Amino acid sequence: MQNTIKVERAILNLTQDDLAKKIGVSRQTINSIEANRYVPSTVLALKLSVLFNKPVNDFFKLSDDD
Amino acid sequence: MNKQNIVDCERNRLEKITSFRLPQYFYKVGIAIGAITIIMMFVRAFAMEGDTEWLKHLLQKTLLIGMLLMSIARDKEEDELTIKLRMQSYAWAFITGVVYTLVMPYVEFGVSNVVHSGGEVYQDLGDFQILIFMLLVQLMSYHTLKRYR
Repeated sequence: MQNTIKVERAILNLTQDDLAKKIGVSRQTINSIEANRYVPSTVLALKLSVLFNKPVNDFFKLSDDD
Repeated sequence: MNKQNIVDCERNRLEKITSFRLPQYFYKVGIAIGAITIIMMFVRAFAMEGDTEWLKHLLQKTLLIGMLLMSIARDKEEDELTIKLRMQSYAWAFITGVVYTLVMPYVEFGVSNVVHSGGEVYQDLGDFQILIFMLLVQLMSYHTLKRYR
C-alpha cells in the first residue's frame, strides 16, 4: 500500500503533530503511515478522507505486491 | 432474546474484555511495586534470617502483580497502532514463553551436569519463572516495537 498523506498534509499546511491531533492518534502513527510501515484502519482512512475532503482512493493506492 | 442477540451480546462482552486497560498511572504504580519488591527480595536474601520462605513466595506474587499492572496499563498515547503493537508483543511473549518452558529445563539440566558431574536432576520450571519471563518479554518487545514504529 502506498499513500500520499505527506503531500495532502503539505497542501493543508499541517505538521504531523497537527494532523495527529485532528484525527486522534499519535504523531508516531502518522509518521509510520507516511513511511508505509503501517496501514491504517478503515476508520482512520475515512477520518483522513473527511479532513482532506477527498475520496480515500485519492491518497491510498495499492502497490504491486498487495 | 433470540440467538443473534445472544451472539452479539457475547461478542460485545469479549471485545470489552480484550480492550480493557487500566488508567495510565497504573504503569507507575506497577514500577513502584516492582522496585520495592526487588529491594525486599535482596533484603530477604542477604539481611534476614530464619524461615522466610513464605516471604519469598509473597514477594514473587507481588512482583508478578507489579509487572501485570505495567503490562495492562494504558499508554500515554493509546491509538490503533499501539493496540496492534501491544497484541504483537503478547503474541511474542506467548510463543517465547512456550519455547522457554520446553527448552530451559534441558538447558539447566545440561549446564548443571557439564559444570559439575552428577549435577542437578531434571526438573520443570516453576510458575513464577515462566510468568516473569513472559511478562518481561511482553514489556520489552512492546517498548522495542514502539521505539521502531
